[in-house]
Amino acid sequence: MTGKRTRLEAFQAYLYLSPSALIFLAFTLLPAFYVLYIGLFNWNFLNTSMSKFVGFSNYTALLKSPELWHSLIATFYFVLGSVPVGIFAALFIALLLMRPFRGLGLVRLMFFAPYVTPVVSTSIVWLWLFNPQFGLFNAILHFLHLPQIGWVQSARWAMPSVILYTLWHTMGFNIIIFMAGLTTIPSELGEVARIDGASAWQEFWHVTWPLLTPTTLFVTVINTIGALQAFTQFFTLTNGGPAGSTTTASFLLFQQAFVFYHTGYAAALAVLLFIIIAALTLVQMRVSRSEAY
Amino acid sequence: MRHHPWLNILRIILVVVLALLFVFPFYWVVVTSLNTSGQALQYPPVLLPHGQFGNYVRAWSGAPWLRYFGNTLFIATVTTLLVLLTSLLAGFAFGTMRFPGKSLLFMAFLALMMIPQTVLLIPDYILLQDFNWLNTYWAQIVPWGASVFGIFMLRQFFLTLPSDYWEAAQLDGAGRLYFLWKIAVPAARPSLITIGLYTFLGSWNSFLWPFIMTNSAAVQPVEVGLSNFLGTNGTDWTGLSAAVVYTTLPVLVLFLIAQKQFMKGMYSGAGGIKG
Repeated sequence: MTGKRTRLEAFQAYLYLSPSALIFLAFTLLPAFYVLYIGLFNWNFLNTSMSKFVGFSNYTALLKSPELWHSLIATFYFVLGSVPVGIFAALFIALLLMRPFRGLGLVRLMFFAPYVTPVVSTSIVWLWLFNPQFGLFNAILHFLHLPQIGWVQSARWAMPSVILYTLWHTMGFNIIIFMAGLTTIPSELGEVARIDGASAWQEFWHVTWPLLTPTTLFVTVINTIGALQAFTQFFTLTNGGPAGSTTTASFLLFQQAFVFYHTGYAAALAVLLFIIIAALTLVQMRVSRSEAY
Repeated sequence: MRHHPWLNILRIILVVVLALLFVFPFYWVVVTSLNTSGQALQYPPVLLPHGQFGNYVRAWSGAPWLRYFGNTLFIATVTTLLVLLTSLLAGFAFGTMRFPGKSLLFMAFLALMMIPQTVLLIPDYILLQDFNWLNTYWAQIVPWGASVFGIFMLRQFFLTLPSDYWEAAQLDGAGRLYFLWKIAVPAARPSLITIGLYTFLGSWNSFLWPFIMTNSAAVQPVEVGLSNFLGTNGTDWTGLSAAVVYTTLPVLVLFLIAQKQFMKGMYSGAGGIKG
């Protein structure tokens, strides 16, 4: 009887798992292998049966093309420009918010609100703020007697502009995660440090920061993965331009696959992007783990 | 810092100024949406709104917004229900039942989170093409109908559910599904609300996927519609601002109504991390 009951239980469990498992299998797991396969073909978008097997030539073409290296430079510019600044600014604001005051709840909402907004909608707001002729930012620069800049319309300032928007949009998420992390640090530790005569900075550096490592790691990994995959703000604010200055690897993938229909080539780029994301994630975990001990 | 009251006041002033800067773009888009285009293009900038509601009328008549909103609402609602159902069943199985390969399967589910969306665009596009699902609601719902986050969260919840509940229900002759529906679901309500909110928000805000998988207004969501609208009305800043206001407002209202659940979801998401 028991054997029958366990078998029934197992059968039921598999049954309950099957809807999720089928969706993941069809749209995540198999496609992950399928993209490897597509990358080996000169894929014919309109008629799949006309696709030609070309081995690794998509990969060699990709690695030889300057556009790949430009896009990787743009990608790392974006990651390095948005992630570290975003993390330290968020931690700073979270620390400012840790001691309650009247209106704290409202202030927290104000920081968090941009994060829940749709990226196309709020990118348009910033597109208007960035407008070189009529935008508010240049009006402020003019008012301050500073030289005006081209923002999203200049090859030099387009990436900083997208970074600025991205910082605004994601900051609230990081602040809340840091606040959650900070509340898990026992306050007695800070008190002990204070009794020992530690300054606020010493207390932060020797108590708070080390204990916050898991949170910092989590935020770093999530932000890096997000930055490597960012697309919509680039599409709306700069469309990869001017002169390709904001064509990141993710944007190049979109362009090659869905504008130029170089499907096999774009699939090879997808595989490369996957490797980069996985490698960076592993490195970040390794680094912060060795720092923790 | 904590010894000086004036430093505390300085801290609060700094925080409030920063927070005002963060919400300023919202203020600015409302101002622009309520001014004439002459006022919008003027220097020095006009900092207050002037009640030009005509911008809203003009923007609203410029695209099939009602259709876009209906599509988004339908897609986000069905996706949310599907995610709740699949997560509930899978989380229940992982959290309360015994079966061979359980921990292996659970690890496999978690590992799926490692596969980035961008990488899946091309194969999923071809797959949906083969299914004849391109440009349908299906393409925007089914692939998003399961959530590792949802499964993980409900599994955690069911692990904490005392097993006496189930034993007592069994004595009463209850089946597993009956137990799940009548006892486990009501108990899991807070988790379900959090999962539902984040799924709904994610679906409502999604752009790249529907942008690639659809090409007609009949099935396109609001964000794709807004992007099209930007393409055709790119210089009508007052009309665009009006469109931004009514496409952003539903999300902000939802967020304000359910802010407690949103914040709790963030905290529980962060609570899952351990060194």
